[in-house]
Amino acid sequence: MIYKFNFCLILFFCVGNLFSQNTSKASLFGNIRDKAGQALEGVTVILVDKNKGVVTNAKGFYHLKNISEGRHNIKVSYLGFESFQKEIEFGPKAQIQLDIQLEESSFELETINLKGKSAVRKINEQAYTVNSVSTKALQNSTSDAKQILNRVPGVRILQDGGLGSDLDFSLNGFSGDQVKFFLNGIPMDNFGSAFNLASIPVNSIERIDVYKGVVPVWLGTDALGGAVNIITNQKNDFLDVSYSYGSFNTHRTSVNGAFTNKNGFTVRGNFNHNYSDNNYDVLVDKKDVNGNVVERNIWAERFHDRYRSISANIETGWVNTDFADQLLFGIIASGDDNQIQTGATMETVYGGVINESESVIPTLKYKKNNLFFEGLDVSLNSALNLVKNKIIDTLTGRRFDWSGNALDTGSETDGELGEASLLTLDNTEFTSQFNASYLFDEKHSLVFNHGFQYFHQERFDVLNPDRIANQFPNSLYKNVLGLAYKYNFNQNWNATAFGKAYILNLETSKEFDFGEETRRTDVFETNSQNFGYGLATSYFILPNLQLKASYEHTYRLPTATEVFGNGLFVTANADLEPEQSDNLNCGATYDFSIGEAKQHKFNVGSNFIYREAKDLIFQVVTLSSPQTNFSNLAEIRTIGVESNVNYAWKDFFELSTNMTYQNSTDQAEFTYNDFSGYQENLNLGERLPNTPYLFGNANARFNFENIGLDDSKLQATYRYNFVEEFFLSWSRFGNRNTKAIIPQQSSHDLELNYSFQNNKYNLGIECRNFTDEILYDKFRLQKPGRAFYVKFRYAIN
Amino acid sequence: MFSTNSFKKTSLAFLSLLGVFSFTSCSDDDDNVVSDDNSTTIPAEGKPYVMSMAIQGSEGNFTYYTVPFENLMEGTLSAEGQGFEQPGYYDFTQIDQTIYSIGGLDDVNVVGISKNESDELVQVGDVSYDASLNDVVNADENTVISVSMSSASDVVTFRKFNKNNVSAIETKNIQVSQFTSLVGPAYSGMVVTENHLFLSYYISNPETFATDYTDQAEVAVFSYPELEFKKVITDDRVGPIGGFNVKSGLIKDENNNVYAISHSNPANGFSEFTKPSGILKINSGETEFDADYFFDIEEASGGNNTAHLKYLGNGRAFAEINVASRDQQEMWSDGPLQSAIVDLEAQTVSYIDGIPEHPGLGRRLIALQDGNFLYTSITEENGLYVYEVNLQTGTAEKGAKIQASFPAGIFKL
Repeated sequence: MIYKFNFCLILFFCVGNLFSQNTSKASLFGNIRDKAGQALEGVTVILVDKNKGVVTNAKGFYHLKNISEGRHNIKVSYLGFESFQKEIEFGPKAQIQLDIQLEESSFELETINLKGKSAVRKINEQAYTVNSVSTKALQNSTSDAKQILNRVPGVRILQDGGLGSDLDFSLNGFSGDQVKFFLNGIPMDNFGSAFNLASIPVNSIERIDVYKGVVPVWLGTDALGGAVNIITNQKNDFLDVSYSYGSFNTHRTSVNGAFTNKNGFTVRGNFNHNYSDNNYDVLVDKKDVNGNVVERNIWAERFHDRYRSISANIETGWVNTDFADQLLFGIIASGDDNQIQTGATMETVYGGVINESESVIPTLKYKKNNLFFEGLDVSLNSALNLVKNKIIDTLTGRRFDWSGNALDTGSETDGELGEASLLTLDNTEFTSQFNASYLFDEKHSLVFNHGFQYFHQERFDVLNPDRIANQFPNSLYKNVLGLAYKYNFNQNWNATAFGKAYILNLETSKEFDFGEETRRTDVFETNSQNFGYGLATSYFILPNLQLKASYEHTYRLPTATEVFGNGLFVTANADLEPEQSDNLNCGATYDFSIGEAKQHKFNVGSNFIYREAKDLIFQVVTLSSPQTNFSNLAEIRTIGVESNVNYAWKDFFELSTNMTYQNSTDQAEFTYNDFSGYQENLNLGERLPNTPYLFGNANARFNFENIGLDDSKLQATYRYNFVEEFFLSWSRFGNRNTKAIIPQQSSHDLELNYSFQNNKYNLGIECRNFTDEILYDKFRLQKPGRAFYVKFRYAIN
Repeated sequence: MFSTNSFKKTSLAFLSLLGVFSFTSCSDDDDNVVSDDNSTTIPAEGKPYVMSMAIQGSEGNFTYYTVPFENLMEGTLSAEGQGFEQPGYYDFTQIDQTIYSIGGLDDVNVVGISKNESDELVQVGDVSYDASLNDVVNADENTVISVSMSSASDVVTFRKFNKNNVSAIETKNIQVSQFTSLVGPAYSGMVVTENHLFLSYYISNPETFATDYTDQAEVAVFSYPELEFKKVITDDRVGPIGGFNVKSGLIKDENNNVYAISHSNPANGFSEFTKPSGILKINSGETEFDADYFFDIEEASGGNNTAHLKYLGNGRAFAEINVASRDQQEMWSDGPLQSAIVDLEAQTVSYIDGIPEHPGLGRRLIALQDGNFLYTSITEENGLYVYEVNLQTGTAEKGAKIQASFPAGIFKL
């Protein structure tokens, strides 16, 4: 089936008989670029009848040698671009140059773009269920990684408050350690709090890939529910500077750039600064000195919630040289300080608690395609994370109320969180991701990955240096090996089978007889191996109707604290097993256009998800004892559907909507506590509490060209976000009217962007939550109300 | 060819989708104002009994439900779709005609649960604190008093509440250094007699919970209602009074005689025991231990003791006797227990017939006295059951099944 012809848009190509050399057979060469003139790496160029092909290098150049005389059908294809096909007559020693400019697949909407994936090199991921979100249309908005991700189907980010506050990321019901994060393929779980989803502005991001349930082997990790890979701007020469200012004294600066000389030497990086007082108003209860609520639901300004963070990521090295397509030495340095305003709910008010973090992360990236011989690609990403976190609770004898007044409690030892402390957590982590892939021919390819992680934590409390829990350092060594084989049955159908091995080694040392002659340190160790596997396949029923299915049996390895406890009241459990899950996705996407000149373009997609997670790790409940440990207790089944409908009319109007319904239910037959022992699970089959299950987004955008100035653009965007109300605790018990709920939320944002001189100068104005809804992600932790932001951006490519 | 019809159709589809969004967004904004305004009532006509039960999720979190019931002896007692929900950690105790629920998710609330004139359960009071309240006890006709005491803190806080509306009327901070120079006095019991407040405690390392001082009983005496510290009374016939989290170190009888229970049980958090267990007495109106009174509970029970006592009347109390001797007890287990009635005057222990040996909850004793009967909850292998004890015959009968992870209180309003 040569269906691609229908869509093929060739802007420019030339066929030339430029020179003739004394080679024995004919050859074909040339450069492949996109519309903007950027070289496209990894484009496949195939002699269809001979089943022979090459891919372009980082400069977009390809060279197909040893072509026999005669007419051959040439096919050029690249994921996210319209493919190109042509018959060419080759003479006996013809040297034919064919330069091609590919056009991006014409359908482009903010949340569904699957584009820019280097075809064969990374093609193994294409059958996975991935939402790849391009930030192209968002560069002038004040969004950050968190806000972009929050619009992806299946993803919910629950935030405690404003900029810098704690957030819980959940993907199809999985959260915490069950979903792994990467920055350009480097695990970022331990990058320090200054480098989190809310502090990476949109200008540092090219796109974000969200892998649901099934994670490709090249992201070597132990993710139970999926992975998120944030890809920063990969262009070789550009500058992008932006500054935004807005409500609650929020300032955000972002400088991104890259310079590459003709020898391939490059310097690139980004710098980001975030500041906010977060002094937004919240609805609270006013209490008197005895603790009586004297007035309900009065507005109070948050007074101890300042957040500031700074991060810089500088890389230097070489790109597109003989010895490496990419060899980059980098360093990420970041720091933040975060005043903590409340406890788990707004009933507890803090006036002195501060969290701080600093991190220094040297990185090394190496990538070479066709190393030693054609078809062998290797890459290595390594990082050493040196992170220091501080929890400062040194203000004693004070209790704050919402007016910011401190009440004297008469204590000289009580901080606001408990006994006063100044705890430092020193984390050292080394991560390395090695990938090698080999393309046998058009049909077969193999990918190998080795992911390694070493993690070590030490704790020190300045105020309580002898505390036993702080004399319990622990280390973790994790190896994940992956092997994937991909087979292309034909142009329409491919399948990838993969296996992963998870090897974990944990170590802790415990000090005995502190301060005595017999003082000694004993080392405890535990090892485990597990094997996971999966399958991903994609089939085009029609040229514009794709079906995808993927399955993985996956593991999340326990952390050192979960296995060893804290040396005090969280005791060790050497029998702790990893969490495991069977994840299944089935989906379909369909593109079509109607109307004259096909100016009404549609894209609809739907994905069914099924997750059966077992052996989930929770702390054992104890009633009569303060002592507990971690154990494999829970079982959760998630069944869900995500759907999106997108529409575009010419270049003028775009509308994209998505809805997610996911029903996560408790499937554990028993609950356990030390009093009743194993007991019938009274919530068997019930929906998990405190978890959103129905939510959706809609975006509408109008694009106007040349308003006011020549080469200018005006964009007006409206965004809508909806989350159905959910219960804080299990739904089965209690009178409904007395149950704690997280109320239904609807928020509306408006954004206006104006660009002129071909996007060089940009101005954006944004109003978030313009209807001033009272928003909650978490129980009694109110988020900001209406807020305005203005953003200036200067960009050259 | 542009098809107007298909465009219209698709547009309609989109509009209806948008309609769904806007419809949902137009729902009542008042829902968004989160506040527990205590306005919900729970019909309880003909349902004199009230049970508070804790239900555990498989993730380990608890939610408490307080539900009215007609009968405790038949069927299954369930909170399905009914009762006041309270998420977090809660402790329940009844004083007069009000159940005091103390606890919360993060802050600590004191909420009274009582019946209104329409025979409905209502929540009364609106007061909350950052630090936890260990106990609430009856102080006088109009007042209950709470205590906050943590072994990690250098301050003990008393608060007085008006019984009628459960509002706090006075806060009193006491420096721990006034009554002990040791770090870590932990709460174990409190009673208020006419003019005095007695506070029992044991010394517990705030980090390791080790109890390194078990050679004598200590009770701090405060004046009431002034709450001025008076003195610490000690007695070295026994070890410390009370233990971890069970709150029944001190009880009083109808004549304001105070009984102090010492057990030093490993099962109740003691890392060592160095003195015999036993019950001491502070006679009504006095502020010293009665040197002539010593209830040797080990002798009376055949080598055992108790950490749980509930005073019944006429010198008798309901007790949960730990049937493992102290050197055999499993640390922090609070059991195994056998229910009994002890006579504080005759100094006897009579085990109740019909209640099987059962595990300990490690919390406040669950027991409701209703005339000549006492209702308690017993954990058996296949679930939790109400037992009705006939206080005259000392026999018990098994009642309704309780659908809960553990019971948090049985009351009658």
